Amino acid sequence: MKETTEPQKTSDNASKDAQLAAVIASSVIAVGFVIYWTIQIQDMLEMLALAYG
Amino acid sequence: MSSRMLPSYTRSVAVIATIGLCLGFVLSNARLDTYSALLPLFEWMETTSFGVIGKTWGAVFATVEAVHLLAMAVLGGSVLVSDGRLLCLIFTDVPQRQVQDACHRLFVWSLLLSIITGVFMACGVAIKVYYLNVFWYKMLALTVGVVFVFFVRRPLLRHDIENLNPWVLRMVAVASLMIWFSVAATGRWIGFSG
Repeated sequence: MKETTEPQKTSDNASKDAQLAAVIASSVIAVGFVIYWTIQIQDMLEMLALAYG
Repeated sequence: MSSRMLPSYTRSVAVIATIGLCLGFVLSNARLDTYSALLPLFEWMETTSFGVIGKTWGAVFATVEAVHLLAMAVLGGSVLVSDGRLLCLIFTDVPQRQVQDACHRLFVWSLLLSIITGVFMACGVAIKVYYLNVFWYKMLALTVGVVFVFFVRRPLLRHDIENLNPWVLRMVAVASLMIWFSVAATGRWIGFSG
């Protein structure tokens, strides 16, 4: 069985941590983006409907 | 098992804590209190030399605005290229590391230039932008974008990119495109609101 050295383990753990942090942050940004632009587009459609029927 | 062998998720915990703090700030009265407290700062900004120059000499304001737009264009280009490479859509024959490092250098300089010119422009129309909701959305998107780049994206890409999960890289690229699209679109919207 291949032995992993302590620095390699530390590097792997840091990589896993960075990836998990990236997944969490990216998911929150994607959700925020969808909510914000959905609200803005709906507001714009309502204003267009008020202006042009 | 030694505790040192367990993965240490300090960055992930910090990201969750930051998101929690931001949500707490947005959903509490602290947001409105901060908004009110910032009015004197914006009033003062208009009285500074930058504010007076921006209001008095339209040509200076227009020139700075042109530099601001050029800086934003370079920033947008660096984001498009680096995220396009992460998505394996462009420059697939160039090593990831080379593209990401070059784009990051360009990104940092263009960000600095756009912030400096942006502050000058904001001084000229400080009271106007203070009452524009979209200005605050832009500042929020810009802050999230900068924090995302320097505390999430860049630390991730410092690791061996070839060994990272490709789906994580795609998620980061898409989130990055979303956030910088929002910065650009809300910035344009401030222009339309004049």
